[in-house]
Amino acid sequence: MGLREPEVQNQMQKNKNLPPTKKFNRKRVGREFENGMGYMFISPFIIGTVMLTLFPIVYSLYLSFTNFNLVGEADWIGLSNYQEMFTSDPMFKQALEVTFLYAGAGVPLRLVFALLIALALNKVVEAAGLYRTFLYLPSIVGGSVGVAIMWRQLFGNDGALNSVLASMGLPTHSWLGDPDTAIWTLVVLYIWQFGSSMLIFLAGLRNIPKTYYEASSVDGAHKIQQFFKITLPLLTPVILFNLVMQTIQGFMAFTPSFIITAGGPMNSTLLYILYMYRNAFQFFDMGYASALAWFMLLIIAVFTALIFKSSDRWVHYDDN
Amino acid sequence: MKKYLLLMLSVITILLIAACSGGSDEEEASGGNGGENEQSSEETGGSDDGGGDDADQEQITLRMSWWGSQSRHDMTNEIIALYEEQNPHIKIQTEFTGFDGYFEKMAAQAAGNNLPDIMQQNFGEYVNLYASQDLLTDLSPFVEDGTIDLDGVSDTIVDAGKVGGTLVGIPTGTNALVATYDSAAFEDAGIDAPTHDWTWEDYERIAREYHEETGKYGARLNEPGNMFEYYLREKGYALFNEDGTGLGYDDDQLLVDYLSMTKGLIDDGVMPGYDVIQLIKGLEDELIVRGETPLDLTNWSNQVGALENAAGTPIEMVVLPGENNDRGMFLKPSMLWSIGKNSEHKEEAAKFINFFTNTVEVFEIIGSDRGVPIKPEVREALEPNLSDIDQKVYDYVNYVSENSSPADTNFPPSASEVFKALEDTDELVMYGELTPEEGAEQFRMNAERILAK
Repeated sequence: MGLREPEVQNQMQKNKNLPPTKKFNRKRVGREFENGMGYMFISPFIIGTVMLTLFPIVYSLYLSFTNFNLVGEADWIGLSNYQEMFTSDPMFKQALEVTFLYAGAGVPLRLVFALLIALALNKVVEAAGLYRTFLYLPSIVGGSVGVAIMWRQLFGNDGALNSVLASMGLPTHSWLGDPDTAIWTLVVLYIWQFGSSMLIFLAGLRNIPKTYYEASSVDGAHKIQQFFKITLPLLTPVILFNLVMQTIQGFMAFTPSFIITAGGPMNSTLLYILYMYRNAFQFFDMGYASALAWFMLLIIAVFTALIFKSSDRWVHYDDN
Repeated sequence: MKKYLLLMLSVITILLIAACSGGSDEEEASGGNGGENEQSSEETGGSDDGGGDDADQEQITLRMSWWGSQSRHDMTNEIIALYEEQNPHIKIQTEFTGFDGYFEKMAAQAAGNNLPDIMQQNFGEYVNLYASQDLLTDLSPFVEDGTIDLDGVSDTIVDAGKVGGTLVGIPTGTNALVATYDSAAFEDAGIDAPTHDWTWEDYERIAREYHEETGKYGARLNEPGNMFEYYLREKGYALFNEDGTGLGYDDDQLLVDYLSMTKGLIDDGVMPGYDVIQLIKGLEDELIVRGETPLDLTNWSNQVGALENAAGTPIEMVVLPGENNDRGMFLKPSMLWSIGKNSEHKEEAAKFINFFTNTVEVFEIIGSDRGVPIKPEVREALEPNLSDIDQKVYDYVNYVSENSSPADTNFPPSASEVFKALEDTDELVMYGELTPEEGAEQFRMNAERILAK
């Protein structure tokens, strides 16, 4: 519309070339002026996005085809980085496996946990805000270094968990030192930071009309039936949203493995992003790190697409 | 009315945008002169007027960076204050962190052509990488014209600051690997403490005896990076070949033997495994400090002071084990002072490095924290007033200087990745995932892949 109108106006102008032009023109100028003004006002955002987001993204794609080592010149090496990733780098495979385990276990468990807490909170009438805040707190401080350090203390050999186990006469375990358990301490941390999903679930639950429950209980449905026949189906759009957001977050986790275990023991907690970081800033192989980043983007894109594709089958929208 | 308001607003916006983009252009163009843009523009203004006749009056800001512990930060700041007092026209702007993160930060600055004027560099793969990218100033002109006075410093020490024949760093002091032990603990257990002429067999025997006697660990787990490199040197090899394109040893049995020794000690409970080691939080938390083992082969001589302070009990030093430990041992610059290639005040930076190298007061403040001073006169001047621990460190480094061979400098730029691969292999073997034979083979494969990149 914005395109066509001026053309029409131009023609009209050519055809007539008559008095109304003055008024007409002023209107046109006014609109252009307004558009210009609009662009001007959003220009800080546009400039920022282009310079600080778009440019680095495109640049990193370019770097992924080079051997840039942060300080020297970037030489074009074609697909060598990608080739190395898939053919000869054992750590790449290791990092992928760890990350899939982490996200694969952490995301569903966090969602289930968040939903359970939201269901419980939904029943709370008094001081609900207070409970909400307390339960949300771990997520606010979630990505932070402080929590990661605390986690180290909790699961360390002389940590709180082992002290509790010992006091109950149970065998203690080197949770962070054992390659089989270290990744699970990180998964537990991931689950514990359920706050934002929980809040979204809670909002979803509040949106389910009470009348459905009333009607169904008149028909003799019990709580469990109500949950599976009413709550869950009506919550599926929210579940979809949470699933997508959490999947993305799960694949991009970095801090826990960086701080708590440094990828060890035996690289059993080497999350993909940590491996990428290592290549970039410890081995100074920026080109390779960029290639890793783009592959992760692809993985996340594929997963997100799959989730959306599958959503036709299990997500129910209220209005159909 | 409304229109005028809009017009005015838009004019203001335009001005703001123009100012913003103008600013960023300028910043990009002058990316080389360091973080303090205001400062540097003032300076350039000043030098235009002065026409370079009297540099003394010109205010100069130098940027300086280092890594280290809190005590090193405090001591270094004290030294800087002393220098600024003596040279009122110099202002030193400091950037310091722990070792973790330091080179990440420097890499980002290097990428922006924005390295500090005075930079603490690390001997080995780090300085080699920076030098190979031509990021560091050749310091030999300053040494030749006497700005940096290195008279009397032994050639091996000066050479350690050279990469490919170019002098890119002045050692802050010298350092050596050291086997530290808690003499009281050995005495209590009735076991003879190690001596300079101990062998690998003695090392295993002592650790095992102590473990049997007390039930505690006989020695700390070794870190493969330094330790295996030393092990190879002691056997007459090197970790990397001469031009840094491959490994410096052909027989995998060397690594098999090394790994088997450690693995055997761990399996028998003499040595803690990685599950214990990875929870150690800094020097103050080390097993030898907590009295859980009397023997620790993983330290450098400049760390012994901090170690003894933390332990609260005398820590003694001997060289690492092996019949040929005089071949295996080497002196290493604890760190190097380098000047960023992009520095606009190379001369002034060199003067500061000279101050740091040649001033007795500097080492009275810093002790042996950055290693033993490289200048004989400084060492001699300090000798009478050394603290007990510094005296021990001096004696030790002195002993090593007479019983060692030159340090290897042929670290390829990807050396840190190779060291990481070695650590990974070590871990896999110690956890029993690989046999020492498999580990040695896997390490060679990974190392060759990394070095071929």
